[in-house]
Amino acid sequence: MKKILDIGKRIELVPLDLYFENISIALYSQKDEQGSFYLVHTYSQIPGVGKRINTVINAMKNLGGMEQDNMGRLRFPCKNAHNLAVKRVFLEACKVDPTEKVTKRPLTTLDKKSGLQINLLRSGNGEYQVTAIGESREKERRISFIAGGLMKLGELDEVIGSLDRIFFPCSSNHDEMIGLLLLRAPNVRAILRDQATVAGRGVLAAPSQQDL
Amino acid sequence: MKTERSMTSRERVLAALERAPVDRTPVCNPTSIATVELMDLVNAPFPNANRDPELMARLAATGYTELGFDSIMPVFSIIQESSALGCKIQWEQKDNWPTVKMSEPIWTEADDITIPSNFLTHSDTKCVLEAIRLLKKEYGDEVAIIGKTMGPWSLGYHCFGVEPFLLMSLDDPGKTHLALDRMKEATIEFGIAQIEAGADALTLPDHATGDLVSGEYYKRFLRDLHIELTERLPIPLIMHICGRTVDRMGFIAETGCAAFHYDSKNKPLESMEAVEGKISLVGNINNPETLFARGPEEITKEVFGNLEHGIHMVGPECAIPLQTSIENLKAIPAAVKDWHRSGSI
Repeated sequence: MKKILDIGKRIELVPLDLYFENISIALYSQKDEQGSFYLVHTYSQIPGVGKRINTVINAMKNLGGMEQDNMGRLRFPCKNAHNLAVKRVFLEACKVDPTEKVTKRPLTTLDKKSGLQINLLRSGNGEYQVTAIGESREKERRISFIAGGLMKLGELDEVIGSLDRIFFPCSSNHDEMIGLLLLRAPNVRAILRDQATVAGRGVLAAPSQQDL
Repeated sequence: MKTERSMTSRERVLAALERAPVDRTPVCNPTSIATVELMDLVNAPFPNANRDPELMARLAATGYTELGFDSIMPVFSIIQESSALGCKIQWEQKDNWPTVKMSEPIWTEADDITIPSNFLTHSDTKCVLEAIRLLKKEYGDEVAIIGKTMGPWSLGYHCFGVEPFLLMSLDDPGKTHLALDRMKEATIEFGIAQIEAGADALTLPDHATGDLVSGEYYKRFLRDLHIELTERLPIPLIMHICGRTVDRMGFIAETGCAAFHYDSKNKPLESMEAVEGKISLVGNINNPETLFARGPEEITKEVFGNLEHGIHMVGPECAIPLQTSIENLKAIPAAVKDWHRSGSI
């Protein structure tokens, strides 16, 4: 029988994988002298599970710009921890249909709410500027909102005095990762609400608290 | 007080239920500690692990074999006997709890209450009995096997619906007493069957919870009934009521129950004062904020907080969220052992 392993701190969990036998898949963080690492792991031993885990790992490499070491662990090229952003990379990687090709997300997206085309301009040293093409009365507000969304999803910091410029504290560029986050940033409230709902599943309430 | 030799987990739990000396405080789970990762580990996922005795036993055993708890409690859900009584059940998937569809009650009057002749042979009660037999056979000498039989107040919610049952208690206390008295027989039947199957102790959840029911209400409707249950179920009973319950702990301590499984909404010191040494206390480690959302450091702090006030058994306050991390669960026994190693008992 497989045993419980000491593989670091679990930072995210998909309790029910849609693409392989309803297994749970978890993301663990580890740290050693070489930097911060992440391990995709399941306790399931159903035949074929290894292939599924590799699919998720490969999707994370693509979507998050991550690299894999010879122990199967993932890390960012900057070797720093990006625990909040990597959770999003992991969750998105688990959602990818394994039969489809995983493509890196570009530094641009359509903001459906305003109709603006949102672009990220790379300023170097991990700094990005949120810009918008198109006409909308909400233009400045949406730029600021989306910059805020990126900060919330990826633990980025704002350039002081600016509403549209943000940066990774590690001072490294992370184009793939921020491209992925940009896709969700315009709906950050809904994303965080959904996350809380998923996390709340599986909490047993007393009969008086159940809504049935 | 220390004993001479190391006790088995079973001896430790049974001694703590009697408030007798133990070699260290037991880590005890009167309710579920199943998680989705443990389900994967032993290939025993919900909902099947609530309906197949072999899966139920296999998943429950991980609490002892993998996490290092001193007890095994296979009755994960609170719906097994309600299903056998005829309630409709929403079984859900692996990542959620089965629940009774209380919006479709099966009874409206006390006279409606009947315990079906197949109550103990229904697949959902039989599953529990078989699982206890399997666990007793494999682990019975070394670890405490804890069963669970739902109290009549909880059955009232399930079978009448929460609101109708509470309204009945306000409008017609006599009818409510009669209904409780009749439903109590299901509690006893299922409890005795689990004792015969090999349970060392029984959890008795009776959801007169702090949010809806006062301490005075508990005294009026349930205290005497619970005394009768302790007389008719001849093994240690662990009463479980969620929420803030200090206002009724004194009454619960008078029932003859061996222990009260208490919620983190109650502080260890005030709870110890409320029960005046008449009953053991177990539980208190917060589920949603600590076990689910924080880490081993915060868990250790809560465990130590219980141990420092002389709480008899440590464990989660209620059935843990299914997404709780294994690392956090293992932190409970680790903290208990650390505390005792540091020299306090």
